[in-house]
Amino acid sequence: MTRILLSDKLDNCVARWRKAGLTVIGPVKKETSSSYATVEKAADFDFGIVLPDRSIKGLFFPQTEPMMGYTIKKQDIATNDFAPPTEKRIIFGARSCDASGLAIDDPLFGWDYKDDFWFQRRNETVIVTIACTKADDFCMCTSLKLAPDSTKGSDVLLRPLQNNKGWLVEELTDRGREAFKEIADLLLDGSEQAAPLAVVPEKFNLDACVAWLKNPENFDSTFWKEISMRCIGCGSCTFLCPTCHCFDFQDEGDTYSGIRRKNWDSCSFSLFTMHTSGHNPRSTQSARWRQRIMHKFNYFPGKFSVNSCSGCGRCTRQCPVDMGITETLQAISTLKP
Amino acid sequence: MSEPFEPKIVAFVCTYCTYAGADLAGTSRLKYAPNVRIVRLPCTGRISPMFILKALQKGADGVLVSGCHPGDCHFTHGNYHARRRWTVFRALLEFTGIPLERVKFSWISAAEGGKFADFMNSVTEDIRKLGPFDQYQGLINETEAPATL
Amino acid sequence: MSIQEQYKKRVRELLSSGAVKMVIGYQAGTTADRRRPLFIRTPEEAEKLVLDSACIANLSGYLVTEGLLSDEKSVGIFLRPDGIRSINILAAEAQLNPEQVVILGFDGNDKEVTALQGEKARDFSAIIASIKEHAPEAPRNPQLEQIEKMSPKERFAFWQAEFSRCIKCYACRQACPMCYCRRCIVDSNQPQWVNTSSHTLGNLEWNVVRAFHLSGRCVGCGNCDRACPVNIPLRLINAKMAGEVLGAFDHFAGMSETQEPVLASFKKDDSETFIL
Repeated sequence: MTRILLSDKLDNCVARWRKAGLTVIGPVKKETSSSYATVEKAADFDFGIVLPDRSIKGLFFPQTEPMMGYTIKKQDIATNDFAPPTEKRIIFGARSCDASGLAIDDPLFGWDYKDDFWFQRRNETVIVTIACTKADDFCMCTSLKLAPDSTKGSDVLLRPLQNNKGWLVEELTDRGREAFKEIADLLLDGSEQAAPLAVVPEKFNLDACVAWLKNPENFDSTFWKEISMRCIGCGSCTFLCPTCHCFDFQDEGDTYSGIRRKNWDSCSFSLFTMHTSGHNPRSTQSARWRQRIMHKFNYFPGKFSVNSCSGCGRCTRQCPVDMGITETLQAISTLKP
Repeated sequence: MSEPFEPKIVAFVCTYCTYAGADLAGTSRLKYAPNVRIVRLPCTGRISPMFILKALQKGADGVLVSGCHPGDCHFTHGNYHARRRWTVFRALLEFTGIPLERVKFSWISAAEGGKFADFMNSVTEDIRKLGPFDQYQGLINETEAPATL
Repeated sequence: MSIQEQYKKRVRELLSSGAVKMVIGYQAGTTADRRRPLFIRTPEEAEKLVLDSACIANLSGYLVTEGLLSDEKSVGIFLRPDGIRSINILAAEAQLNPEQVVILGFDGNDKEVTALQGEKARDFSAIIASIKEHAPEAPRNPQLEQIEKMSPKERFAFWQAEFSRCIKCYACRQACPMCYCRRCIVDSNQPQWVNTSSHTLGNLEWNVVRAFHLSGRCVGCGNCDRACPVNIPLRLINAKMAGEVLGAFDHFAGMSETQEPVLASFKKDDSETFIL
């Protein structure tokens, strides 16, 4: 016997969670762009979106976040620190790839310095993932040894019912069980079948790619120049990526007052590695693209034993020149290690 | 009773004409509204549209820009270039909904101390009627930056 | 022979005769409706070329890639009329030598494309002149008209809502053939005119500056609009500014290789109704 949440009960669920002090967040389409945003009622959700344009990352690691402010007066200097937010949230309708992305970044934000801003939000947020029954041409989770119903990073996994009237509920963590206690009486017992999962064909052989990347001789291969020739060096792939995590500190202000902020940064930008002297160790776009691939599939797993890619495919989907991880790894798969 | 609203106005002026005009207004003992803070620049051609945006963002209620009459530029044609730039910039401000009536342009020569004083007075009155510029306030609050002095 | 086969033949000729060292064109993309930029360096590679109505990106920005034209050899490039206008602007702004650019021109609608006769940018001047002539009566974007009818407050709110989505990835800048500055104003921090953070205030500043720098230079190719990952309707601002510049100064960007940039030139009798 499995437990079932019917779609027509979702309005009640949202109300319950909101009453319990949780901010409810879900996939939303506004005007021409989709993202995970705050919802007030069931009708605000758009579960038809294969994958929101923007990843879940920004809810845990915002594109810009204040760290410290200062005010200089005649005699003294006042500073104020910003504390991580304590808001409790539930994300209903995350995708497996997005949830996995968070789990991939957890060790990164905690290995030498524990980033309170990240972990506070992680601890206060329940992630309810809905397994995918639809995929598009860019999805590639299976190539990363994940699946449309991976449970990595999720607190609850929902599987859409075959009759499309609700979801099968699988509670995975204590945090998930806690949140679902609020709505326990709204769940039914049933034996309905789950709808078949989306079919995501495997696009490249990950092990072969990793072996090629690990060979130091290939660092200087002409392959990098060829594959990245059309890259225009915008940062959209890195900013939309659920696992890209580079940031930069920026001071905005003047002699009298100002603020220090943590902003997203991108290895695609030529200024990312520019030294004050004017020397740039990654002076070409091919070196920057190599860094992105190497970091995701060689350096990051070398340190944290997990690839820094969850296969969402946003990098290709939104690329102005139709590049992306899929094409590069497909090309590497065909090379000799 | 609350204090009456005194607008803050930033004036970007060229040193050869309008600044000299302001000087003349001063030496002629003409009285004009003290709401105007003058920023002196070599030429109107040096006035980047960024100055205007930044002034509004940093708390100015109005901005005025002034330089030599056409044909009088110390650098022969800096003001002609500036004029084209302002035409384009005004259209852009209008299209993005930044209030045009808070940004004023004029030509004031070194001999026009009277015009300078009158212009400062009339601009101050106009801005006073419009009230404080608060359109940016929501955006500034969103940045969570400490208030400027 | 289809236009695609015709042009494949032409590309092979150009490369095998040594007239050009490379041809920049299009190839098939990830999905049926996508095209990717293609760099053809040998006659054999011309086989990959695709030319049809889905080829819409303006490729001219690749010509100002550092070092590409510095050996004084020629490069061939597939361009629509808007791309040819970009070449004229880049030449007028001394970013490239138009003699080094061999244009493989084409034009069309969303169903089919036709070849344009000519090789150098100046060969297409009649086509560009006729586009300028018809610019005032060209159908305007209905959304543009809608925005113009709004009150200033509503317009401000409209653009705030759009700009609040901006993530400052600068895809609009990188995709634009006109944004070739080695150091963009947003990357300068002494002084820092534009807030680098992507809060709405910083986004507003960035988008206003971007639009201002493209006034009278934008050819309306739509690269920025298509590149934006959060779908901000950037082409509306660009189109508005192009209209203003045409109306105020009779300036249509990219008419010729020697056209003076609108904001680097002036007429003594330019209108000044707003100056007191």
